Amino acid sequence: MDWSLIFKAVLALGGLAIVFGVLLAVASVKFHVEIDPRVDEVLDALVGSNCGACGFPGCLPAAEAVVKGKAPVDVCVAGGKAVAEAVAKIMGVEVTVTERGVAHVHCRGGLSESIPNAIYQGIDSCAAAEKIAGGGKACKYGCLGLGTCKAVCPVNAIIIDEDHRRVVNRDKCTGCGLCVEACPRHLIEIVPRKQIILVKCSSKDKGSVAKKICTVSCIACKKCEKVCKYDAIHVRKNRAWIDYDKCTQCGKCVEVCPTTAVVKVTAIRERKSREKASESTPAPV
Amino acid sequence: MNEAYRYFLLFLGALLVYNIILIRFIALCPFMGVSTQVETAIGMAMSVLFVMTMATTVSWISWNYILKPLGVGEFLYIPVFILIIASLVQFVEMVIKKISQPLYRAMGIYLPLITTNCAVLAAATEAVKPGFLKLNIAYHFSLPEAIIYTIGVALGFGLVMIMFACIRERLETSPVPHSFRGAPIGFIVAALLSLAFMGFANLLGL
Repeated sequence: MDWSLIFKAVLALGGLAIVFGVLLAVASVKFHVEIDPRVDEVLDALVGSNCGACGFPGCLPAAEAVVKGKAPVDVCVAGGKAVAEAVAKIMGVEVTVTERGVAHVHCRGGLSESIPNAIYQGIDSCAAAEKIAGGGKACKYGCLGLGTCKAVCPVNAIIIDEDHRRVVNRDKCTGCGLCVEACPRHLIEIVPRKQIILVKCSSKDKGSVAKKICTVSCIACKKCEKVCKYDAIHVRKNRAWIDYDKCTQCGKCVEVCPTTAVVKVTAIRERKSREKASESTPAPV
Repeated sequence: MNEAYRYFLLFLGALLVYNIILIRFIALCPFMGVSTQVETAIGMAMSVLFVMTMATTVSWISWNYILKPLGVGEFLYIPVFILIIASLVQFVEMVIKKISQPLYRAMGIYLPLITTNCAVLAAATEAVKPGFLKLNIAYHFSLPEAIIYTIGVALGFGLVMIMFACIRERLETSPVPHSFRGAPIGFIVAALLSLAFMGFANLLGL
């Protein structure tokens, strides 16, 4: 057996390993870039999905901005209050969490409520459907239900069921507003989190036209306007609008609305259990 | 044979005739994984070009001045080359981080991926170890030959990556049957591309 060969192999590989090891050690000292250790800590505390909802290209630039003082500690939109508290602890400041709103889709028409005038067979993208003569829906203003908002949501808060109805999970939604920008029909709005009485229609069609193409459309009958004691709901441009500052959420408008276009949003869990209780009449959301 | 023409043949052979992805089926994982967008494909191609050329240079030196004189190259070349590539990637990453932050951000994600990339190891081995590559115009590479050959391999990799990324971007919006969406149609397209590249066989006697 040739022992010298083993010795040579050890020498060659070991020697190279030592050379490279020393080289890397020297390089790590010589090419050391000063990084505030808090950047790493803040980065760990953030959600880390690089969703971009904060306005920075990713979590690392956001963390750098927080450490430099260029961004507030509650920069992470997707993380919400828990993350803001963790970041504030690292930075040694008080939490200044601003209450963020929640996304709301101003359309209620699913496949069974809104009448189609064509069959759309293109790719699953609302923007594409909107380009091709407005997709398959007769309503020019309603939700196309192809899930562009669902795709951009960093926290999976938007659910689209088989009937193309959109449900925003308020527990998950962080109010980042990515879906607002994504919707080609501008149906999504960030509303105050406490607001549970909402208009779920964006149709600018006249009542008679709207009624023909959608069973749950606002028909601008002004019944809600008359019943409201607080001057909080008005009909403009053929649909109802709620003034969130004046609204006391009494729910009178929901009761009088003939087409259930004004709805009371309840937590999904409650809605599910209620749907189970009365299978025949699906609860409005 | 004219020296310049020989270099040209070597380059062309590495680039098209013996294309690393489509003819030899090396580096299929970045080929499938990073080719969904043209932008990322270009980033990966540039990083591979950079690392591959440096890895071959250092491997050539270590083979000719350390492994060959000691007579241990035949069985030790894989660990040594992996060691070289891994340390080099680390080193380059540090240097780029110090010199240019924008370049570090652009390349940063791809550099660690290349550390154990089989294409880099394959190019280094072929360019350095005599008899490993079955290309009759070059048996024992000199250093300039090795570098030119490696650049050819890396550009061939980049060419196919970018081409394939363009096709995949189009595929995203094409009416592909549901069961073929994603990787399956990707492999079918890759196979057709590979067939097309086989047309380069015997080009200029290579």
